[in-house]
Amino acid sequence: MTAALSVVQPLSTASAASVAPAHIDARNIAVDFVVEGRRQRVLNDISLAVPKGSFVSLIGPSGCGKSTLLKVLAGLITPTEGQVTVDGIAPREAAKRRVIGLAFQEATLLPWKNAVENAAFLLQTADDRVSKADAMAKAAAMLKLVDLEGAERKMPSQLSGGMRQRVAIARALALDPQVLLMDEPFGALDAITREEMSRCLLDIWERTGKTIVLVTHSIDEAVFLSREVHVMGTNPARIVETLPITLPLPRNDDTFAEPAFKTAEKRLRTLLFESKRRPA
Amino acid sequence: MSALDAASAPAPRAVTVRKPLPDAVLALGLIAAVTIAWELAIRLFSVPTFVLPAPSAIIQTLIESRVRLARAAASTAVEISLGFVLAALTGILIALLIVRFERFGRALYPLIVLFQNVPKVALAPIFILWFGFDLAPKIVLIVVIAFFPVAIDMLAGLQSVEPSFVALMQSVGASRGKILMRVRIPHSLPHLMAGLKVAITFSVIGAIVGEFAGANQGLGYVIEFASTQLDTPLIFAALVVVSVLGLAFYYVVELAERLLVPWAPKFDTHRRIA
Repeated sequence: MTAALSVVQPLSTASAASVAPAHIDARNIAVDFVVEGRRQRVLNDISLAVPKGSFVSLIGPSGCGKSTLLKVLAGLITPTEGQVTVDGIAPREAAKRRVIGLAFQEATLLPWKNAVENAAFLLQTADDRVSKADAMAKAAAMLKLVDLEGAERKMPSQLSGGMRQRVAIARALALDPQVLLMDEPFGALDAITREEMSRCLLDIWERTGKTIVLVTHSIDEAVFLSREVHVMGTNPARIVETLPITLPLPRNDDTFAEPAFKTAEKRLRTLLFESKRRPA
Repeated sequence: MSALDAASAPAPRAVTVRKPLPDAVLALGLIAAVTIAWELAIRLFSVPTFVLPAPSAIIQTLIESRVRLARAAASTAVEISLGFVLAALTGILIALLIVRFERFGRALYPLIVLFQNVPKVALAPIFILWFGFDLAPKIVLIVVIAFFPVAIDMLAGLQSVEPSFVALMQSVGASRGKILMRVRIPHSLPHLMAGLKVAITFSVIGAIVGEFAGANQGLGYVIEFASTQLDTPLIFAALVVVSVLGLAFYYVVELAERLLVPWAPKFDTHRRIA
């Protein structure tokens, strides 16, 4: 435990104080919710630095506040304490300038619009100056990127769960954001579709070089996709450890067979179950 | 005999895939069965006509009084149409106001629910007193009876947009008004259509009750008048016309639903409940 910490510690301080400023920078974040008149601390003293173009996962037991943390990074929740910047500005402002793209567990497509209209919808909402034709063209290109070419005219009810989630990702990508924040985007999908989707996401990351933060329940997914995994624990919600994933790029089927994959997987498993067992 | 058997033997036993009968045929078949049973029962037990007329007597009255019934149906139809449209607009407006102006909505909502608990039928004489014997009191009565399902269903539709989707729109800086126009209103349309289907049936009731309370035309008036004359066949004939009228209005709304919100979940009579 101490040995692992000593390995990890220098890395996190290095990235926080490195020369190039982090693309997403959260310092000493605390979030309180008021539940039935009582203040409850859901996030406590969390610092996180994500370098530009990195792929980072947040993993932890349910109720550890990882979704809340993502919402703070997205500017949907204003933290009670601490500071957050995305691309050097406040997240809310960054989102308005289309720096941030979001995807959630549910695809939430509009049932009265087809795939390409859904993918174009957020871009059209964000900016009235974008013409309909431009938005559609952009959306169609993004559908192609997520491997949905030919399904443009299909209605959401005609699409499978995985396809709907691809449209949701295309909708976020159509904003041309620098940062992609995803809250368990594959959580509602079956295991095989899940794995297809993580490959698709990896492909997008390799091709576009976007900074990606992924909230996930899946240890496999976190190790396979990320450069760095932040393990969160409960009571109080905090980052227990930051684990760098040194697996070579590009990642593919062979990645799963790497000894480093097994090591990282085992380490995460230990951390997750330890953090659950031992209330701090 | 054996030759015949041999000839028919090679044909495998037909796997009878029976085509399901169309719904309309099933419904009409049931109506025919009930009508025949009714007719037989009246003749068998020689029930007096002023108590319960036989279907044949009702049909005869329908034919004999067709002009009178058609005129009455026309004026009732006008009341239903105008009342329904106004009720729909009122319901939609209330739902939009409640969603758009949150604080106003919180004040208004309990009042609407309270008002819904007032027996509307009891208001009919008051409306007659206030608005006279013509069209106006019937339309007001229809509006107060039929706006409620429209308002409640539309409200449910406006508010049931996925919170994460609202968050998504807010994140790119969409205003409340923009979210309302682009997402909440289109999202609410299937709910609105469900409310309208209830409202159209309430509108028919409202028109008839309004005519009971005071009128000199319309199907409700015909029923009221016929009952004072103990002309039971005419009462039933008018009831048949009311039912057909109500059915026609209902299907107009359902047709509008299919055209306007093709993505709405449909009531599928062929889907079996497992």
